[in-house]
Amino acid sequence: MTHAAGGDRETGKDRFDLARLPWLRPLIYSRWPLFIARSVTLAGFVFTILVGLFGSPVGSHNFAIIFVWIAWWTALKLFFIPLGGRSWCSVCPLPMPGEWLGQGGLVSKTRKRLGLRLRWPRRLRGYWLQVGLFLVIGLFSAVTLTDPRVTAWILLSLILLAILLSLVYERRAFCTYLCPIGGFTGIYAQIAPVEVRVVNTAICAAHAEKTCYLECPWGVYPVALRDSSQCGLCLECLRVCPQDNIALNLRPFNSDLGAARRTQRLDEAFLALVMLGSALAFGAVFIGPWGILKNAALAIGSLPWLGYAAAFLTLNMAFLPAAFALAVWLAEKGSLRTAPFRRALANWSQALLPLGLFSWIAFTVSFALPKFSYITNALSDPLGQGWSLLGSAQVVVNADKFNLAPILQVAALLVGLYWSVNLAVNLAKTETGAPLALRKAAPLVAFSLLYTLLMLGLLVG
Amino acid sequence: MMKPEWLARSLLVALLALAALAVGAGWYGQRGVVTLRARMPEGGGWSPGEIKADVGEPLKLRLTSDDVTHSFAVGQLDLPAVDIHPGEMSEVTLVFDRPGKYTYYCTRWCGLNHWRMRGTIEVSSPDPSQTGKVVVGETPLYLELGLDIDTPHPAQLTPGSKPAASAGRARLEQVPLKYRGLSYYRTHSPAAAWEALRAEPFARDLSDAQVWSLVAALWQANTGAERLAEAEAIYRQNCAACHGENGGGDGVFAAQAASEAASMDVPTSGQPIDAHDLKTPANFTAAESMLGASPAILQGKIVRGGMGTGMPYWGPIFTEEQIWALVDYLWTFQFDYSLEVNP
Amino acid sequence: MSLPASKRSRYLPWLVISLAGILILILPLPVQARDSTGHTFKVEARRFAYSPSILKVHPGDQVTIELTSQDVVHGLVVDGYDLEAQAEPGQTTRLTFTADRAGTFRLRCSVTCGSMHPFMIGKLQVGNNDLLWRGAGLALLLVLAGVWKGYQ
Repeated sequence: MTHAAGGDRETGKDRFDLARLPWLRPLIYSRWPLFIARSVTLAGFVFTILVGLFGSPVGSHNFAIIFVWIAWWTALKLFFIPLGGRSWCSVCPLPMPGEWLGQGGLVSKTRKRLGLRLRWPRRLRGYWLQVGLFLVIGLFSAVTLTDPRVTAWILLSLILLAILLSLVYERRAFCTYLCPIGGFTGIYAQIAPVEVRVVNTAICAAHAEKTCYLECPWGVYPVALRDSSQCGLCLECLRVCPQDNIALNLRPFNSDLGAARRTQRLDEAFLALVMLGSALAFGAVFIGPWGILKNAALAIGSLPWLGYAAAFLTLNMAFLPAAFALAVWLAEKGSLRTAPFRRALANWSQALLPLGLFSWIAFTVSFALPKFSYITNALSDPLGQGWSLLGSAQVVVNADKFNLAPILQVAALLVGLYWSVNLAVNLAKTETGAPLALRKAAPLVAFSLLYTLLMLGLLVG
Repeated sequence: MMKPEWLARSLLVALLALAALAVGAGWYGQRGVVTLRARMPEGGGWSPGEIKADVGEPLKLRLTSDDVTHSFAVGQLDLPAVDIHPGEMSEVTLVFDRPGKYTYYCTRWCGLNHWRMRGTIEVSSPDPSQTGKVVVGETPLYLELGLDIDTPHPAQLTPGSKPAASAGRARLEQVPLKYRGLSYYRTHSPAAAWEALRAEPFARDLSDAQVWSLVAALWQANTGAERLAEAEAIYRQNCAACHGENGGGDGVFAAQAASEAASMDVPTSGQPIDAHDLKTPANFTAAESMLGASPAILQGKIVRGGMGTGMPYWGPIFTEEQIWALVDYLWTFQFDYSLEVNP
Repeated sequence: MSLPASKRSRYLPWLVISLAGILILILPLPVQARDSTGHTFKVEARRFAYSPSILKVHPGDQVTIELTSQDVVHGLVVDGYDLEAQAEPGQTTRLTFTADRAGTFRLRCSVTCGSMHPFMIGKLQVGNNDLLWRGAGLALLLVLAGVWKGYQ
C-alpha cells in the first residue's frame, strides 16, 4: 500500500481530516488496533454469554445484565453514537467470526475464504426487518432487560445468526439489514460529527479498479456516500486506497441532514418513529410509577401482557405515525409544488432524528446514573457467586450524589428539540423562502414540541 | 519472527480462553461446598431440600438467593437467622451434637407461601446407640390430654370490653390456690376459668366485669414481661403477616391465604394444599372464639397447624418454651396487661 | 465601540433569548404561602410499585411514611434525600423526615425484590415541580430560538 504524503489532501470547509494527524495515522492504517479491540469485545461477549447462562439468575447481580443493558448501552447511547455515529459497529464482535471466515484470516486476507456470497434479497432490503426486530424485542423487554438467561440466549442467537448470514450472503448482511442495534445506529449516525468521505472525486473517477468498494466489508462505495448511515467506520477503505484519497473527517453535528431528500422510501421514517414511540413506551413502563404497566409487561403470555403488547404496537405502528403524517400533511397543504406524499414523509422524517437520539439519551440517563453502582458491583462479582475481585461487590457507590440525573435528562431533551426544530425550518426553507418556511415547518415544530413535553413529563414530571 | 496472522490467532485464542477460564474458575472454586439456593416456594423453595450431615462434624453452607431476600434458620437450634440476599453469598457453619431430622426454614417473608419454605437436615451418627433420636419437644399437651383442636370452641359468655389485668390484681390473693398454677392456666380456657371463679364464694359480691379482670390478672400472673417481649418479636416476624399486626386476622396475606392457597400447586416438603384452605386467618381480637380456647388448644394449633386452613405447623421450628410464650402473648389481644392501675 | 445598526439587529434577538432563558432558570415559581404541616402516608409496597405511588407534600412539611409490604422484603430510598427504610409483611416501618427540598424526587426500592426491582419507582412531589416547569419553559424558548435561527 502506498500512502501519499499528507500535504495534498483537500477537504471541504467544516471538515477536519483526522487521518492527517501524524500521531493518529499509524493507528488508522494498521489493522492491529481494530483487531485487538474486536478481540477484546469478542472475548467480553463470550464471557457475558457464559455469565448470563451460568451466573446468578438475579439480574441486578449478573454481569450479563449489568454490562449489556447498563454499561454498554450507556456507552452506546451517550458516546459511541452521538460522538462517533456507527463507531460501535467498527468494534462490534457480532460480525467478526463470520467476517474472519469470509476473508480467510484474522488480519490478512487469503484465498481460503468461506461463504456463498449471495446478494441480499431485494425485497428484504431497507430498515424494515430491523424495525420489526426492534418492536419484537420491545414486547419482551421487561424479561430481556432483567433475566440473565434471556439476555444470554439473545446474544448467542444474534452471533450465530450473524455467522450464518456471513456464510450465505455477501458483506455484512446481518449488520446492514437485521441487527436491531444497527438500525437506529445507522439513522442516528447522520447526526454524529464523524464521517468517512473521499477527498478528491476526480481521482476516483480516473481509478478503474475501485479497490475501496471491493474491500469494504459493508459493500459501500465511498464515492457514493451521501450520508453516514451505512458506513461502519472500519476504515478499511482508507487502508486500501492506492491514492490515499479517503478521509476520516470531523464535521459539524447534523451534517447529513437538512437537504431535501428525493427518496420515496419510508423505512427510515418508520424506524425514526418507532424509536420515538418506544422511548415513550419504555419511559412509561420502566421509569414511571405505574406498577400495573410493569407487571403487565413482565407477565408474558397473559391477558394484561396482550393489552400491553397491543398498546405498544398501536403507539408505534399507528398512533405516532398517524400524528406525524398529520403534521406532514398540514405542512404540505399550502405547498405550491405537489410532491408525492410519500416523499414528503420521507423528507420530513429527518427532523425526527435529533429528537429520537436525545430522547434515548435522556431515557438512558434516567436509569443508568442512579444504578451506576451496579456496574462496580458487577465488576467485582460478575457471576453473583460471592466474589469480590475489586473489593467493590457490596459497596453502593452513589454516582449521583447531587441528583443531577433529572437535570441532565432535561438538558438532553432540550438539545434534541432545538436541533429538531432547526432542522424542520431548514427543510422548509429548501422548498420555500424564509417567511413561508415558518408556516410550513410549524406542524412539525409542534409535533416535536409536544413529544418533548410528553417525555419531560414522563422522565422528570 | 512470528507471522502476523498467527500472532493474531494466538491473541484471539488467549482472550477467549481467558473469558472461559474466568467463568470456569468460579465453578472450580465452588466444588466441595454445599451451596444452598433459596427461592420463593412458588419457584422451588430450597435447593437442595435435603442435606445430610454427621454428628459433631461442622457443616459449612454457602447461601444465596435467586429471587428475593430470604433468611436461613434451623428449627429448635439456638442459632441466629442468617439473611440471604439475592445475587450475594452468605455463609453459615452448623454443628449438631444430636442426631435426628432437623428442619431449616426461611425467616424473612418471601411471599404468600413463605412458611412452606422448609427443608430437612438428616444428621446421622456413627454411634449406633445414638440413632433414632428425633429432635422435637415432648408430646404437646393437647395430645396428652386428648383435646380436639379442630372443633370450634365458642365461649358462652364474653366481657363487654377488654378486661384489664391491673383491675383484678388486687384481688388475686383471694383466689384459691388451685386456680393459680401453671397447670390450671394451661388446661383451662378463660371462659371456663370465669365460670369457675364466678361460682366461688369469694366472688359473690363481684360484678361479671370484675371477675373478668380477675381472670385477666390470673392469666398475666402465669407469664412475664420478658417472655412477652420475646413472643412479640416472634409474632411480628412470623404471624403478623397473616394474622395482622393488631391480631385482627387481617394481615397482608389474609385474603390471599384463603383463595390463592387453594389454587396453587406448591411443590415443597410442607403440607400439600387442598380445597379446605379457604378460611381466613384467625382473629385474635374476637372474644368469643379466643376466650373459649385453653392455652393447650392454642399451643396445639400452633404446633400442628391445619384446622382446614393454611395455618402452618410450627412444631419443628420453635421450641416448646417459645410456643408457650407465644400463646401467652396471644392473650394480650384479649386482656390488657399494662401495669398502670386503672381506677 | 458600539456595533453598527445591522449587526445590532442580528445579535439583539439572541440577547433577548438568552436573557429570557436565564429568567426562566432563576425566576422563583409562585409558591403558596402556608404553614408547614405534617403528612402521614400509608405506603404499601408490592412487586413492583408503591401504592400510593405519588406522594404530594409542600416544602417544609413533616412527612411520615408508614411503609408496609404486601409480599416480600422491600426497601424505600428517596432520591436527593439520604433516607432508607425496609419493610416486610407483618411489620410496618416508619420513616419521618422534613421535606425541605422542593421538586419531584423518585422513590426507589433498595432491597432486591425480584426481576423488575431496579424499576420499582414512586414519586415524591414537594411543592412545585420546578424542573418540569423550567424545562417546559425552556422548551418553548428553544422552539423560538430554533425557528429564529432558521430564519437567518
